[in-house]
Amino acid sequence: MRLWPRVSTLVAMALALTMAVLLMAAVLLDRPAETHGRTVVTVRLWDEQVAAAYRESFKEFSRLHPDIDVRVNVVAYASYFDSLRTDAAGGSADDIFWLSNAYFAGYADSGRLMDVAKVLGPNASAGWEQSVVDQFTRNGVLWAVPQLTDAGIAVYFNADLVDAAGVGLEQLVTMRWSPGDVDTLRPLLARLTADADGRHADEPGFDPQRVRQWGYNAANDLQGIYLNYIGSAGGKFSDGDRFAFDNPGAVAAFDYLVRLINVDHVAPPASDTNSNGDFSRNQFLQGKMALFQSGTYNLAAIAEQAQFRWGVVAMPVGPVGRVSVTNGIAAAGNSATKHPDAVRQVLAWMGSTLGNQYLGSGGAAIPAVIDAQRAYFDFWARRGVDVKPFFSVLDGPHIPAPGGPGFPAGYQALRPYFDEMFLGRADIAHTLGDAQAAANAAAER
Amino acid sequence: MGYGLLAPSLFGMVTFLLLPMLVVLWLSVHRWDLLGPITYVGLDNWGSVLTDPSFATSLLVTVLFIAIVVPTQSVLGLIAAAMLAPGLPGSGFFRTLYVLPWICAPLAIGVLWRWILAPTDGAVSTLLGHRIEWLTDPHLALPVVSAVTIWTNVGYVTLFFLAGILAIPSEIHDAARTDGANAWQRFRRITLPMLRPTLFFVLVTGVISAAQVFDTVYALTGGGPQGRTDLIAHRIYAEAFGAAAVGRAAVMAAVLFVLLVGVTIVQHLYFSRRITYDVV
Amino acid sequence: MTSFSRIVTAPVIYACLVAGALMTLAPLALGLMTSFTSANQFNTQAPLSWPNPPTLENYSGLADAGFGRALAVTALMTAVILVGQLTFSVLAAYAFARLEFPGRNALFWVYLATLMVPATVTVVPLYLMMAQAGLRNTFWALVLPFMFGSPYAVFLLREYFRGIPADLIKAARIDGANTLDVLVHIVIPASKPILVTLALITVVSQWNSFMWPLVITSGGKWEVLTVATAGLQSRYNAQWTLVMAATTVAIVPLIALFVALGRHIVRSIVVTGLK
Repeated sequence: MRLWPRVSTLVAMALALTMAVLLMAAVLLDRPAETHGRTVVTVRLWDEQVAAAYRESFKEFSRLHPDIDVRVNVVAYASYFDSLRTDAAGGSADDIFWLSNAYFAGYADSGRLMDVAKVLGPNASAGWEQSVVDQFTRNGVLWAVPQLTDAGIAVYFNADLVDAAGVGLEQLVTMRWSPGDVDTLRPLLARLTADADGRHADEPGFDPQRVRQWGYNAANDLQGIYLNYIGSAGGKFSDGDRFAFDNPGAVAAFDYLVRLINVDHVAPPASDTNSNGDFSRNQFLQGKMALFQSGTYNLAAIAEQAQFRWGVVAMPVGPVGRVSVTNGIAAAGNSATKHPDAVRQVLAWMGSTLGNQYLGSGGAAIPAVIDAQRAYFDFWARRGVDVKPFFSVLDGPHIPAPGGPGFPAGYQALRPYFDEMFLGRADIAHTLGDAQAAANAAAER
Repeated sequence: MGYGLLAPSLFGMVTFLLLPMLVVLWLSVHRWDLLGPITYVGLDNWGSVLTDPSFATSLLVTVLFIAIVVPTQSVLGLIAAAMLAPGLPGSGFFRTLYVLPWICAPLAIGVLWRWILAPTDGAVSTLLGHRIEWLTDPHLALPVVSAVTIWTNVGYVTLFFLAGILAIPSEIHDAARTDGANAWQRFRRITLPMLRPTLFFVLVTGVISAAQVFDTVYALTGGGPQGRTDLIAHRIYAEAFGAAAVGRAAVMAAVLFVLLVGVTIVQHLYFSRRITYDVV
Repeated sequence: MTSFSRIVTAPVIYACLVAGALMTLAPLALGLMTSFTSANQFNTQAPLSWPNPPTLENYSGLADAGFGRALAVTALMTAVILVGQLTFSVLAAYAFARLEFPGRNALFWVYLATLMVPATVTVVPLYLMMAQAGLRNTFWALVLPFMFGSPYAVFLLREYFRGIPADLIKAARIDGANTLDVLVHIVIPASKPILVTLALITVVSQWNSFMWPLVITSGGKWEVLTVATAGLQSRYNAQWTLVMAATTVAIVPLIALFVALGRHIVRSIVVTGLK
């Protein structure tokens, strides 16, 4: 009987001990890896290839600044901006993070970013690609350090497939699309599309249900596809912070693209490409797609993984010429960081020729620091890849990339409309009108 | 002493269940995009949400979803229970097997079915030989999402009906048999009426859980073609964390709460008048 | 049933049961099979071809993607919530069932009322509260809302505890037992079935939890298995062999638990439901 209290007390203690052990495990899991008393600065981005380049760059940085340790944090693009927003709201965003033109305005307006001129001096932007500096300047203030520029959009082609279809290089170079008559692109793509029985899309008996080889990656892809088509048709997508794609040029562009997918069947069905941004790229990499229109952001992946001969040509000419979007990525400093001085040093490094050239020397991306860009061209020249088409297209007019603080909400609102449109189930002009209204309404909120 | 024992769970209940309800109401009259400050906007959110066609669509879709899922899974569960009730050898094995889908994480189940239904390289497409756009066809998307939910839940529902059937005293069946009733008549006149409490339970919990389905939508369609599978839980999430309109999301959450409470009360009133407990 | 009608309908019943079993297992089996197929084979041959040879490359790919940590986080979170929820619910239920104190009944009604609060409705306000408290993307945010007990558990346990004979407890008290003794020596042993039940329910629902972890954590540090699976699926979209490996890892631990304790789980579900 005198043993009673002891047993129950033991039980209670055992329970408390279990809980303590569990919680200690939690604390252990929480601890970051060894820091040895150094300051840890975290950098967040979405591109795995560029992350590898950064790691090299930061290794060098830590050699020069032994008291600062830089960690690279890769978050998948699909959830990058959603999670960045919730992290920033909760005060746990990384010290430095990548921003794109489309998404940065909200952060700038709510004071979450460091003012670059204040942090790195008013002349810091002198050595940087002007178009990117402009993209990330809002209300007269530069809010992020340009890191890379995407250059323009061009077309990768699978040389093996193109040759097998009897299509010559001169035909690729003179591709032209138009809602009306002078349209060499469509027949070309038909020649490059084949079903499981080997019939091409321009032959009778072609079975669109069993396509073995696609001609092109026409899809609901803002940067790679439709923004450029809109520009090349003389239309526009955005007007400052507002969505403005309800115009004849845009209608013509979307109409053409949607027909390529649903009438001509030279591009994969929208049900595959609407929700999967990598679908077409994977098809191309697997040798199942002849032409793949995209930017330099896929160059490294293709160079590494393509197991066929490939090349790059300029994108098709539209009714008013070749108009490409160009996009830049910049790294912003988190104004709520606990280590402002360390962050300042890392940002300075990232914006310097030395630090930025790592991105180019592995061919991962075109550095935004002008003096560092040589590394990129040299790398690809050595590999025998001609990257000129990505740049020559920028000699002409550009179409601006959209943005503004309401962009995320607006883009989310227009997606269902665009998805329907690309599935071939909606009237284009009508849909664009509705989508624009919905997007702007959502952006206002 | 009592309060001492109660303290932790009381703290938990008040902080994490009661307080959030108040916060929802408070949030519903404010505007917050997660990045900027939280500003008071009065009834603006209420106005904009209640007149928003996408919200109406979401509610409609949710109601449709519940109307498909709950009766179907209940009927299938009842049939399965009737098959298991005789207790043929191996019934225990089958009964345990059917619950497997319910044990698995709904998110993982959703991702699994996403592959199975994928038009390119999916299991179904490969078996059929041609592609069907299960998840992007506006006429197919909601039925398909419903089917996945039903597939997940049937085994779970079966257990309750089985317990209910087995709880019916065998004397009643014996008496009926001596009176000449056959199996079907006994099922209709005895089993079904005595299953009313179980049916009530299955329906109420079915409705409440169907109204909160999120993982499956997130994994399969992300809201679906034209919002056709944009169930209310998903809409709330998309509104708060996708469109960054937390105040509006709070309004939607409040509406959902009111609707669910209403449903519970209505079902309670409806059924409590018709439940028979003891027949003998 | 007469033995004759039993013989006639038995094959029919078995046919139905087997059909049901096939429909239940087929998707899971197919996913499992795909997870052991190499990506190369999947892309070049028909997607449903038998893995030849079966490979573990998808699973090692998962390890690279951080699934080991996700597994650890999920297990730890579940364990903490399990211990906390059971302990505090037992204490509260005992207080409601056997102790007298002012406002007891009113307070219990409040508990009952909170049963009607749907989880979906609490996500957004809890997010705000956690964000303001600076607890976003921490382990604490994952466990705090759940580890202090659940009204559901309190409700069930109270029912059970009230069924324990009062004389037993009175006798123990006369012998000099304090409350802790009563709990450990009388109440808990008498409630083993319901405790096992609640434990299983808690484990299943926390292991499979998705919306709350999705909202309150981000990045690889505190990802739970479900969130990691969803992230993998969106990142490696169309790399189905890898994705199937992820779903298998998310599913298998609970299935293993289920296979081991199936009967208990089944009984638990029914017991709680019919209350």
